[in-house]
Amino acid sequence: MLNPALLAALGNILPATSILTASEDTRPYECDGLTLFREEPNAVLLPENEAQVVAILKLCHAARLPVVARGAGTGLSGGALPDRNGVILSLAKFMRILAIDPLACTATVQPGVRNLAISEAAAPHDLFYAPDPSSQIACTIGGNVAENSGGVHCLKYGLTVHNVRRVRAVLITGDVVEFGGEALDSPGYDLLALICGSEGLLAVITEVTVKLTPKPQDARCVLAAFDDVVKAGAAVAAIIGAGIIPAGLEMMDRLTISAVEPFVHAGYPQNAAAILLCEADGTPEEVAEEVAVVNRLMAQSGATLIEVSRDEKQRERFWSGRKAAFGAAGRISPDYYCTDGTIPRRALAAVLQRIGELSEQFGLPCMNVFHAGDGNLHPLILYDANRPGDAARTQAFGTKILELCVEVGGTITGEHGVGVEKMGDMCMQFAPAELERFLGVKSAFDAEGLLNPGKAVPTLHRCAEMGRMHVHRGALPHPELPRF
Amino acid sequence: MTTDLIARPDPRSVAELVQKLCGDYGERAVTSQSVREHHSHGEGLADSALPDVVVFPHSNDEVAEIVRLCHLARVPVIAFGVGTSLEGHVAALYGGVCMDLSQMNGVLEVNAQDLDCRVQAGVTREQLNAELKGTGLFFPIDPGANATIGGMAATRASGTNAVRYGTMRENVLGLTVVAADGRIVKTGGRARKSSAGYDLTRLFVGAEGTLGVITEIQLRLYGVPEAIAAAVCQFPDLASAVNTVIAAMQTGIPVARIELLDDVQMDACIRYSKLEGFAPKPTLFFEFHGSPAGVREQSQAMQAISDEFGGSAYQWATQAEDRTRLWKARHAAYYAALALKPGAMGFATDACVPISRLADCILETKVDIEKSGLVAPIVGHVGDGNFHLVVLFDPNDAGQRERAEGLAKAVSLRAIAMGGTCTGEHGIGWHKLDVLAQEHGEAVDLMRAVKRALDPFNIMNPGKTVPL
Repeated sequence: MLNPALLAALGNILPATSILTASEDTRPYECDGLTLFREEPNAVLLPENEAQVVAILKLCHAARLPVVARGAGTGLSGGALPDRNGVILSLAKFMRILAIDPLACTATVQPGVRNLAISEAAAPHDLFYAPDPSSQIACTIGGNVAENSGGVHCLKYGLTVHNVRRVRAVLITGDVVEFGGEALDSPGYDLLALICGSEGLLAVITEVTVKLTPKPQDARCVLAAFDDVVKAGAAVAAIIGAGIIPAGLEMMDRLTISAVEPFVHAGYPQNAAAILLCEADGTPEEVAEEVAVVNRLMAQSGATLIEVSRDEKQRERFWSGRKAAFGAAGRISPDYYCTDGTIPRRALAAVLQRIGELSEQFGLPCMNVFHAGDGNLHPLILYDANRPGDAARTQAFGTKILELCVEVGGTITGEHGVGVEKMGDMCMQFAPAELERFLGVKSAFDAEGLLNPGKAVPTLHRCAEMGRMHVHRGALPHPELPRF
Repeated sequence: MTTDLIARPDPRSVAELVQKLCGDYGERAVTSQSVREHHSHGEGLADSALPDVVVFPHSNDEVAEIVRLCHLARVPVIAFGVGTSLEGHVAALYGGVCMDLSQMNGVLEVNAQDLDCRVQAGVTREQLNAELKGTGLFFPIDPGANATIGGMAATRASGTNAVRYGTMRENVLGLTVVAADGRIVKTGGRARKSSAGYDLTRLFVGAEGTLGVITEIQLRLYGVPEAIAAAVCQFPDLASAVNTVIAAMQTGIPVARIELLDDVQMDACIRYSKLEGFAPKPTLFFEFHGSPAGVREQSQAMQAISDEFGGSAYQWATQAEDRTRLWKARHAAYYAALALKPGAMGFATDACVPISRLADCILETKVDIEKSGLVAPIVGHVGDGNFHLVVLFDPNDAGQRERAEGLAKAVSLRAIAMGGTCTGEHGIGWHKLDVLAQEHGEAVDLMRAVKRALDPFNIMNPGKTVPL
């Protein structure tokens, strides 16, 4: 509970209706898309303009009150999980699209604007906003920037960091800063890139200028089925190796198909071990050429079925299954845990095989649906939270998968962020020298550690606790920190 | 915490350090005047601030050891590639140790299937592309000079291809950096994307050596396009050329290069590079990459647009030698400009504005040039909204020099006023320190805080990039 003096001070900044403290009002904010961890917040604040955000942060800074920013709460790593001692700062009311400049191909929007809403607003100008996380009908652009979100089309069009020109934000001190600018490049340190993916730890975003992309004239999706996951992996390598950068290249395995097809009727063959969706976009001639090459490579890699979308409707239907995959998991299991590792593409087939072996070992089924084109895996571990021991085995299985990713030269999170979920794993991927740089950057922005504490970047102490610090040349780093 | 550094380090510490380095590295630590002079400047206007010693390390561990010693002694460290930077980046303003990384020039791995490679910082871009011949891959970023990859990463280099392939910002996947305390840090990695931790890769890219010394770079590579064709189109006036570019960018034609030369620059290039078949008129140089059909399609689409604005028929260069000749002429623009007035010196400007303001910016600039009575050809990568002037002046005429400086400044101020930057790709170095505050205001405090956090004793290329 917040102390009365603090509540009164907040009452001077926001109307009473914008300060939620009653349990039934704050309960919906107790977790984000990572429902495994929940914490009921002390209060949820709903400002509607930047001046209020500035005043709130100044107050919290003075009172040493932690602040967790939240968009739509769709994040998958617990980035918006409330802090036990702090408040939730919701940007949901920042919903306006401020300007669209079709000549410069940019849109300036408030952070609470939904990802898809930007593309919808840009459509009359034949432009769209390219990064398309599957939650795009609900997720907000502010959250996208904080998590450096990706999506199916990021293979060709880049991640959020590649599609943002400028961010306006407020520091914990209440100072307003702008990163980037309207022009293509900006001198000095790339603070704009630093903000992307900073998971609410460096500043609270109040405005974003995004890059818009001209809508391709034509787009076709190739659906290919394989009787063996290894062959599908080889097809992916062949396509990328041929120099093609498809607009999207996704893979789904047998378990996923069986979950999705009876419900979405996208036209996926139910007996396939894996299917690939490969999209080409551009001018009609370019698309026709690329589709021809992809067809040939799929066939050469042993595809048992190849179909090319006839029209826009069929193209969308091919994709509907992929987009609904996570939701479809709910049909075959009461709970699922989605992991998110990225590996070099060449290791795809080997990693998938190993995940299959681990699934047997742990006795938990695992659906594989992912962005094959850039090696970003989303193994969905299926479990039942009501069955004793399942949750623990699930987390252990998930950790093993991430260890495997790092082992083959990849990363523990391709796009979902670290949040609370992967703090321990950060110690596995980064050495103390690197973590110290992270902490240095954090100290420059938020010396007291009030913005989203306990997320994303672990302290060295914590790594020692996890027992996970790299031993280099036989010398234990930071021998003064106790190990448990 | 005392963070403001010393104007010059203690001479005794420097002397001791130099002695130690000479002892440890023998011939690879040089104190001769001529070598130190060579390492005191890049290109552009000369500065003369010499380092106390130049060292040529061979490995990450050697770089780390040298930085560690400098850290202990509180002596500045300046990394040096091949010295093609333009804004006084390598001037040793407070003396110190210059680390020449040109002997760390190994291409460590090429992963054709994953479209990436890892190189040591001293590899030059031409060397890399030579080694990639036969793999079907290439590294497209082309700032004109044959710079080192390390230097290109440190300055966030751009170039003629940025409109299609991006700048170093988009193409560096990971780094090995020696931090200010001498520890070796790895950022990024081989995975195509990662959202683990802060984006240290992009923090070091463009930091101009002020946060750490880059020793290895993981780079994104691209398949060599099946077909490459270059074309030249001339226009009746500058506005038509610029408007063609803006219209082209809007339709999303994936043109690989689109360069503008105004009538004065075209005239200079015709004379200097002996180009035939062209008039001294506003000109666009295009390059298209893709499959043969794709290239055909792109160029047809571009031609339709330039026709609308009164552009001439396209003159094509499809043979590699013809294309090379064309781009060489473009890259020689600076020297071609100087040759217009033998004996003259030139100020280069580097404005970059949002593409929607490009036409106004260039046309207003042209009016300013005419009013000044000076010779200042315009050339630029207009697909990015970026263009350069070379303002010529007679070094013996103080009045002319002043007017030239005034013109250069006016161009910069206009770019900033239009929401752009006055350093699109040349970086800040030392010469443009005041720009940062003008363009970024509050964010500069944050940059300072980051600098202090990562380099508390200010030994990493002190006096550059972020004014402390």
